[in-house]
Amino acid sequence: MTTTQEPLSTAPHGTHRLTTAKAVAEAIALEMRADPSVLCLGEDIGAYGGIFGATTGLLDEFGPQRVIDTPISETAFIGLGIGAAVEGMRPVVELMFADFMGVCLDQIYNHMAKIHYESGGNVTVPMVLTTAVGGGYSDAAQHSQCLWGTFAHLPGMKVVAPSNPYDAKGLMASAIRDDGPVVYMFHKGVMGLAWMARNDRAVADVPEGAYTVPIGEAAVAREGSDVSVVTISKSVHHALDVAERMAADGVSVEVLDLRSLVPLDRTAILATVAKTGRLVVVDEDYQSFGLSGEVVATVTDVDPGLFHAAPVRVANPDTPVPYSRPLEQVVLPGPDRIEAACRRVLAV
Amino acid sequence: MTTTTPTRGATGLDPSVRRELYRTMVLIRTYEEAVRREYYADKGPGFDIGKGLVPGEMHLSAGQEPVAAGICAHLTTDDAVTATHRPHHLAIAHGVDMAAMTAEIFGRETGLGHGRGGHMHLFDPATHFSCSGIIAEGYPPALGQAFAFQRRGSDRVAVAVTGEGAANQGAFHESLNLAALWRLPVVFVVEDNDWGISVPRSASTSVPSNAARGAAYGIPGVRVEDNAVEAVYAAAAEAVARARAGDGPSLIEVHTLRLWGHFEGDAQGYRTDLDGVPGRDPLPTYRATLEADGVLGAGAADDIARAASERVESVIAAAKAAPLPDPAQAQSYVLA
Amino acid sequence: MTDVLFPPLSTQRPDAEGVVTRWFVADGETVSAGQLVAEVQVDKVDAEVVAPAGGVLRVLVPEDGTARQGAAIARVDEV
Repeated sequence: MTTTQEPLSTAPHGTHRLTTAKAVAEAIALEMRADPSVLCLGEDIGAYGGIFGATTGLLDEFGPQRVIDTPISETAFIGLGIGAAVEGMRPVVELMFADFMGVCLDQIYNHMAKIHYESGGNVTVPMVLTTAVGGGYSDAAQHSQCLWGTFAHLPGMKVVAPSNPYDAKGLMASAIRDDGPVVYMFHKGVMGLAWMARNDRAVADVPEGAYTVPIGEAAVAREGSDVSVVTISKSVHHALDVAERMAADGVSVEVLDLRSLVPLDRTAILATVAKTGRLVVVDEDYQSFGLSGEVVATVTDVDPGLFHAAPVRVANPDTPVPYSRPLEQVVLPGPDRIEAACRRVLAV
Repeated sequence: MTTTTPTRGATGLDPSVRRELYRTMVLIRTYEEAVRREYYADKGPGFDIGKGLVPGEMHLSAGQEPVAAGICAHLTTDDAVTATHRPHHLAIAHGVDMAAMTAEIFGRETGLGHGRGGHMHLFDPATHFSCSGIIAEGYPPALGQAFAFQRRGSDRVAVAVTGEGAANQGAFHESLNLAALWRLPVVFVVEDNDWGISVPRSASTSVPSNAARGAAYGIPGVRVEDNAVEAVYAAAAEAVARARAGDGPSLIEVHTLRLWGHFEGDAQGYRTDLDGVPGRDPLPTYRATLEADGVLGAGAADDIARAASERVESVIAAAKAAPLPDPAQAQSYVLA
Repeated sequence: MTDVLFPPLSTQRPDAEGVVTRWFVADGETVSAGQLVAEVQVDKVDAEVVAPAGGVLRVLVPEDGTARQGAAIARVDEV
C-alpha cells in the first residue's frame, strides 16, 4: 500500500499510476471492449464523465449508444437496467448519490435484488448499480451518507466498496462479470478528485490490463499484532494513517479492509480478532442497526471468548450529517476517534 | 337449429380469430373460478388468510379477460409482458406454462419459481413474462426489455400492464417519458377497472382518462370504453404494429371490469356499483354475439367450456400432487 | 524538446492561474506520446494532461504548484 511520504517513483513495468476514479473508468472500458453487451446509463455519466469521474472517457471511446445520459428518472432508468439485464445485457447503471436511493428503492430492493430469488433462479439480473457515497466535504445531510448498511441489510444483492485504485479496478471487473446484481459503492473521498481535498492514498500503480479482485474477500491492508481495525472504504485510509502514527509508539495495528459487505468475509474478521483479541470497527455509516454491529456479531456468534476486551465501534452517530465543518468532523469517524478507540481497547 | 354463416362482425375480424379470443377468455375465467374455489376450500372456519393450499393474498382477473385476450393475440412468446399483482389472465393469454404457473400458485417445488415467488411473482423466461406486486413498478423493467429488443435490431415488443390507480404513481410517468424519449417498442396498457382497491377513479385521478395522459409525453393514447375484446384487439393491433415498426410507444387504456373483489376475501362493502356488475360480465355478452353471428355453432360454447375445465382441473390436480419445497433450501437462489 | 502546456480551461478567465494537482509520472520517467501524465485544475474544472511527444519527461511545476493557463509545466526531451 502506497504511503504518503515516499517520493513519486517510476511505475513498475506493465502498470500505470491512476486515481481511483480513473481506475474505475478503465475497468469499465476494458469490460466494454471485451463484451458488447456492457453499457452504461445514468445522470451526467456521458459528456460529463460522471459527477465523481467514474465514467470519464467512456463516451469518447464507446459513443452515445453505449454510454447514455438519462433524464432524472431513477425509477425508470434503474428499472430499464433491470429489464435489459433480464434480457441478457450487462448494464452499469449509476445512482448519482446513494442518498438518492429513496426515490428508486423499490426497483433496487424489490426488483433488482429479488427477481432471481422469486423466479427460483430462472431469471438472472447481471447488473451493476454504481453509486457515490460518503462525506467530509460539507455536502450535508442529503449528500454525505454511506448507507451501505441499508443496502447490505436487504437480501439479494452483492455490495462492494473499494478503498484504493487497485481494488476499485478489480472489483468493478468482477462486478460487471457477476451474473447477479452488484451494488458498487465508491466513496467520493477515495476517488482522487482534483476538486476535493488531496488524498495520496487515492492514487496508486494499477496493472494496465484487465484483472479481477474477488467479491466477498477482505484484504489485510496492514499486518499487525496488537489491535485489529476492521473497516471499509475511506476509513481504511484513516486507519492506515493511525496505524503509522501508533507504530511510532510501538503499537502494532492490523487493518482489515473488508472490500465487500455482501458477501461479508466473516472468516477474515474472525482470523484477525483471533490474532489480536482487540477489535475496533470503523464504519462511516450510522452506528445503530448496521455494519459495525454486524462485524461484532460475527465474532460473538462464533466465540465471544476471542475478545480480550470489549470491542469498540467508531461510526457516524445516529445523526444526520451536519453541514458546518466542526460539526461534520466530529460526526465522521476520523483518525482522532480511531486512535482513541485503539488506545481504549488496548487499555483493558 | 338454423345454421348461420359465420360473420366477421362489426370489427371485420376473421371468425377463427374471434373464436380464439373467446376460447382464451373462457380458459382464463375457468382458471380463475377454479383457483377461487381452491383458495376458499380450506380457509375456514371463518377466513384465515394464511391457511390452506393457496395461502396469502389472491387477486383474480375475472372480468378483465378481454384485455388479456385482445392484446396477447398480437404477441408471440418472444415478446415481453409485465403484469401486476393481478396477473393470471395475462399469463394464460401470453402462453405461460399453465402447469408450472399453477404449481407456483400452490407454492410447489415444480412451480415457475420453485415456490419462492407465488401468485404475484410469476416469472417465465421462456415467454419473457414477469409480474410485480408493487403498483406501477412493472413498467420500468418493461422499458429495459424493450430497450434490449431495440438494441438487437429485432421487432419484438414489450407490453407493460398496470391498473388505473398506478397511473398516479411516479414510476408510470417516468416510464412514459423515457419510453417516448428513446422511442422504445413498448405498449403501455392501463386496465381501468374503476377501483383502486376501494377508491374509485374519480377520487384518485385528476383527469377523466389516462389515455389522455399519453399526450403529456408525446405518446398516442386510446381509451377502449366498453371492455369489448374486439375493440381491445383493434387498438392493440395498431399499438403493437407501431412498436414493431420502430415508431415508439403507445398507451391503451381499457375500461374493464373487476368482477370480484380487489382480493379474495374482499367484502366490497364500499362498492357502489355492485348491482350492475353481473350484467357487465363480458363473457356471456361475447358468447351471445358469436352465437348470433354463427361463429359459435350449436354446442360449440359447451365444448369450449368443457375443454377449458379439463385443462384447468388437470393442472390443479398436478399442482396439488407436486412436492412442497424443502425448507433446508429456503436460502437457495438469493444470489446468482 | 517539446513543452507540456497547462491547458486553457477557463474561457471566462484566460489569464487565471491554475494548479497542477497531480503528476502521474515521475521526473525523468520515459513517456510515450498521448500518455496521461498529469491532472490540472482551474477553479472547479479539472483536466487531464497527456504527453505531446515521446521521450524523457522533466517536471517544471511540481504538484500543488501554480501555473498560468498556456504555461509550460513540464517538457519532454525526445531521445
